[in-house]
Amino acid sequence: MSSALAERRSPAIDIRADGQNLALSGALDIRTLPDVERALAQRPNQRKSQSIDLANLSALDTPGALFLCGLRKQGVELTGVRGEHKALLELICSLELKTLPKLPRVPRWREVIIAIGRGGEEALKDTIDIVTFIGRTASATLQELIRPRSLKLASISRQVAETGINALPIIGLMAVMISVVIAYQGVAQLRPYGAEDLTINLVAVSVLREMGVLITAIMVAGRSGSAFTAEIGVMKARDEIDALKVMGMDPMPMLVVPRLIGLVITLPLLTFFADVMGLLGGSITTQWLLHVSPMQSLDRVHEAVDTSDLLVGLIKAPVFAFFIAIIGCMHGLRVRGSAESVGRETTRAVVKAIFLVIVLDALFSILFEEVGL
Amino acid sequence: MSASVQPILSARGIVNRFGQHAVHDGIDLDVRPGEVLGIAGGSGSGKSVLLKTLSGLHRPNRGDVKINGTPVERIDETERAALIGVLFQQGALFSSLSVAQNIMLPIRHHTRLPVEQQERIAVMKLELTGLPVESGIQFPFQLSGGMVKRAAFARALALDPRILFLDEPTADLDPLTAGGIDELIGQLNRSLGITIVIVTHDLTTLFTVCHRVAVLVDRNITVGRVDRLMRSGHPWIREFLHGPRGQGAQHSAQSARKHSHGI
Repeated sequence: MSSALAERRSPAIDIRADGQNLALSGALDIRTLPDVERALAQRPNQRKSQSIDLANLSALDTPGALFLCGLRKQGVELTGVRGEHKALLELICSLELKTLPKLPRVPRWREVIIAIGRGGEEALKDTIDIVTFIGRTASATLQELIRPRSLKLASISRQVAETGINALPIIGLMAVMISVVIAYQGVAQLRPYGAEDLTINLVAVSVLREMGVLITAIMVAGRSGSAFTAEIGVMKARDEIDALKVMGMDPMPMLVVPRLIGLVITLPLLTFFADVMGLLGGSITTQWLLHVSPMQSLDRVHEAVDTSDLLVGLIKAPVFAFFIAIIGCMHGLRVRGSAESVGRETTRAVVKAIFLVIVLDALFSILFEEVGL
Repeated sequence: MSASVQPILSARGIVNRFGQHAVHDGIDLDVRPGEVLGIAGGSGSGKSVLLKTLSGLHRPNRGDVKINGTPVERIDETERAALIGVLFQQGALFSSLSVAQNIMLPIRHHTRLPVEQQERIAVMKLELTGLPVESGIQFPFQLSGGMVKRAAFARALALDPRILFLDEPTADLDPLTAGGIDELIGQLNRSLGITIVIVTHDLTTLFTVCHRVAVLVDRNITVGRVDRLMRSGHPWIREFLHGPRGQGAQHSAQSARKHSHGI
């Protein structure tokens, strides 16, 4: 047994030539096969009508047998085949090996065009899907709101806790950080003009109008939008959605509406919290950079912003929340069968939700400019 | 087989514990070269954990597993690949690769054979496992359940392992397809001389292809030929083998044997 083990550890093959006859000894397996092939290829002119003696072959595996069968088909005689190798050789030689069919090759330029076409078709389908899903969700939500008794208060409050309260630390931290970034940039850019005092205005206005709500929405899209897709997606993959349907429960009011209402409640609150934290962070940073007192800083903020700035930020929050929830739930319900599908849909949902949030924000900016807010 | 035959795999005093719950308590098991050993047991009796322990994928809390006399954890990667093949329950085929690429992946990693030869070997494995050559360029998601099992077989055989571990090879298959897999197991064992360890609760597999059966009961195992286990006094084993499903499997095994011997 120990010798057999040593043999497997360092498989070796020895080829001896005696005129037209070769003798193999040792192990002919997948690891020694390249050596044998190389050795035989170096004797091209003697390859015809020779014989190979296999009496000293201690081990033979299927690739080795395949190789020997190939030689036999070329007219090489195999002599002294050991009893234990006979069956294997016969089995492998009896196989009719076809060649692996080749995949049809598509030229690169056509691949590009096909990809563009597919992308376009997918975008169209996506848009139609989103519009349909918005309609279905809106109708389901309205039906629930008309009969407030049917609202799933317990699940809404669970969603508020999950998407809101648990997100407070990270969103507070992000808001502080982003205001620090704006403050540093503001001071650096405005100092050459001697207007670095205006940094306080800059931070206050940009946090209230844009940064607070944008950072919060992006964070929530990544945190809760993905969670919606994953939760609903896993339920879909495990047939739980079908189980709901078969028991006469519509998944829309059961799963989608509580998440939607929950997020529409939470996102404005989170945004307000981010605004406060952003102002606080900005105020501390500017006090430190510009050497002003807290009271001066507060006065300046009071001068710089009014209620409309706060409202411009807050009014966007429920709209963002609506779309984040819709995209998350829609992709969750799109999951088909397997676990990979859950991962794929989650990625798509997050990318799409963040993309939509930024596009909507741009549209809002144009809109507010037009109406003069 | 006589007791003098050196076991190809031997496990001594295997203890596996999850928290307070002991799944295996001092299991001794020898696998003889060239045999088909079935490991049976109820749900949650630790069949799959035992398989993972024997194949070196799971380190037991106590006890050791030796393959050809070497502790399984000391076998290096190349050697392990040449010694052990595992057929996972769901196939575990790499979903981004075609079936042929799945088979060629370990060959490419461990040898320096030219691509054409790797392909020839892959085609040979497909033939050996009864798959048409066209399925070589298909991807795992395009295959039916039975074909996934066969493709996974072909990949497990890629490097001609000496021991093949099968985790529930016939689970989730219809009886006809499962019968085909049983036949394939027997064929590979006879023609290639591979030692096969099967974890299964498919009674037909136990009756038709296994030379010996190890039943996991009460955190330990009882090993023997299936006809001897039939006479066992243990209530669970009696119930397991003599229940209505056991009797049905026995009948079909007998008729299958008659069929194959032409009686």
